[in-house]
Amino acid sequence: MFTVMAMPNNFQHVTVIEGQPCLFISQGNIMSADTKIAELLTELHQLIKQTQEERSRSEHNLLNIQKTHERMQTENKTSPYYRTKLRGLYTTAKADAEAECSILRHALDKIAEIKSLLEERRIAARMAGTYSDNDPPRKTMRRGVLMTLLQQSAMTLPLWIGKPGDSPPPLCGAMPASSDYVAKQGDKVAARVKAVDGDEQWILAEVVSYSHSTNKYEVDDIDEEGKERHTLSRRRIIPLPQWKANPETDPEALFSKDQLVLALYPQTTCFYRALIHTPPHRPQDDYSVLFEDTSYADGYSPPLNVAQRYVVACKENKKK
Amino acid sequence: MMSELKDCPPLKYYDFKPVEHVKLCPRYTAVLGRSEDDGIGIEELDTLQLELETLLSSASRRLRALEEQRQILTDWQDKKGDKRFLKLGKDTDLSASSRHKPKKQKLDGKGSHGPGPGPGRPKSKNVQPKVQEYELSEDPQDIPRNPKNDAPNRFWASVEPYCADITNEEIRVLEELLKPPDDEAEYYKIPALGKHYSQRWAQEDLLEEQREGARANDKKKSLMGPLSELDAKDVDALLKKSESQHDPPEDGCPFGPLTQRLLQALVEENIISPMEDSPIPDLSGKDGGNDAAGTSPRSQGKSFSLAKEEMRKQELRQRVRVSDNEVMEGFRRIMAARQKKRTPTKKEKDQAWKALKERDSILKLLDG
Repeated sequence: MFTVMAMPNNFQHVTVIEGQPCLFISQGNIMSADTKIAELLTELHQLIKQTQEERSRSEHNLLNIQKTHERMQTENKTSPYYRTKLRGLYTTAKADAEAECSILRHALDKIAEIKSLLEERRIAARMAGTYSDNDPPRKTMRRGVLMTLLQQSAMTLPLWIGKPGDSPPPLCGAMPASSDYVAKQGDKVAARVKAVDGDEQWILAEVVSYSHSTNKYEVDDIDEEGKERHTLSRRRIIPLPQWKANPETDPEALFSKDQLVLALYPQTTCFYRALIHTPPHRPQDDYSVLFEDTSYADGYSPPLNVAQRYVVACKENKKK
Repeated sequence: MMSELKDCPPLKYYDFKPVEHVKLCPRYTAVLGRSEDDGIGIEELDTLQLELETLLSSASRRLRALEEQRQILTDWQDKKGDKRFLKLGKDTDLSASSRHKPKKQKLDGKGSHGPGPGPGRPKSKNVQPKVQEYELSEDPQDIPRNPKNDAPNRFWASVEPYCADITNEEIRVLEELLKPPDDEAEYYKIPALGKHYSQRWAQEDLLEEQREGARANDKKKSLMGPLSELDAKDVDALLKKSESQHDPPEDGCPFGPLTQRLLQALVEENIISPMEDSPIPDLSGKDGGNDAAGTSPRSQGKSFSLAKEEMRKQELRQRVRVSDNEVMEGFRRIMAARQKKRTPTKKEKDQAWKALKERDSILKLLDG
């Protein structure tokens, strides 16, 4: 028996029913997840080729602009003729750049779509694994593997590249979530949990579900070693950013020096209070932060690197 | 790499070089070369994502810069008027024309000289790329801010009244001015002479002293008393005596005969100039100042013949201008006909000849 689900085109919200292989219906086609992914990959391939066609096409005009620049600069030709000519070239180049951006965005959206599907597949597989046998609820993961995964997740967090006039949205870099934001299944969050000995700690967790009736999240510790599922109120949950902020275009979406944040301590899955030392310069750079650490004379660790993904605003007023 | 040079509103000559994807986006480049069967692997998605983000980021920045610079160019073109076009054009031409002309010939002739990337592009060598020279060229946006030099305009405006055509109105005004007024007789009446100034001053001085004396009297009361009164009376008597002796004749000279002779001698010797208000009796019989009256424009009865002549010529010149236009019109028609490779019609030729003849006749009138 198959469970058949209708999928919205953006593949975002999927409730997976236990134990069954799933079929995804999209636009009237019934296909397995694998086939769908394969189809999307082919589409991506086409998009990438189209991108390069667009880029080669516009190169000629950019070269003209370069020549015109040189002539205007070295030969002192600032006549209205040249200005009008330059303006015309700029207009064409602008149209080309817009077309190029458009295709690139399609391609990136396609990648996001595929990744989302993969994520769904992972969750579905995990769920299936949970209920299919009597094994311990979680498969333990080796630490090294976990760290690599975390690093990869941070690196491939999509970069926010706004169109002219756009401003960074909530959950881009340091931009806070809107007040009524509810984290979705699979979202990564910082969760304040109470340990067995009464100590409170912010851990890296993944959202399982949210109950509107109780206003509580169910989250899983990302480090599956022995910690169970937590049920927490909203104020104990901080959603992690879903886009990296581009320091070159949107520096206002980054935390600034000396700002107090909660940052994931390297090689762990816990968040601690820290001060920003230096924000990233390039999109792929990390923050450099100083963790509060009483074992150091001045109370702070030396600068340590933490990816944009794992730095959030600190809501606590006092030390935990 | 952005080379910023000062130009009207600062025009930045951004380097719009596209990302070298072969170098910076290897996975992207690899995927490009693959056939559809080979396709993309899931494990490549992360790398591809990063590379595509790099490309998008660069294209996005380029887009913003292009829009910004295009806006500057548009604003600049909207702001400036024709005058600045000419002014800017002229200035750059003046400063650069000597360099440009020989350069043009070189370009046409040979081509590659000097360094520069890419073959086959017209080279512009002979010109040292002087940034300073470039910056000297006018900043059109500054022109409205600096006080415009309108001295030539003011000059021509001030000269204009002198060069303008004469109008009938102006001649009428002049004639009005020169018309002899009816009531001129009033102006010819010379009133009687008053008291000569030497006498008047002497009297005024006396009065002043009397007043002072009176004041002194008040102050010194009994001390001066009768003495000052006596003085005053004496002075009055003296004055009256001198007045009766020297009553100035109505139309004669106030001076005595001896003084008169002295003055006459001095004038003849050119030591002093003759006094105007008391005419020395004309003994040498020189001519009066009648010449001055004779050269007054009024007495000459001017008829503005010169002005009228000039006006006639003005009119002729105006007709010449009109006729010029007609000749030009005829010329244009014939040229248009030639361009279309047809011979001009009889009508066109006639019109042209007529216009030419008319112009010639007017010119003859003008010169004659």
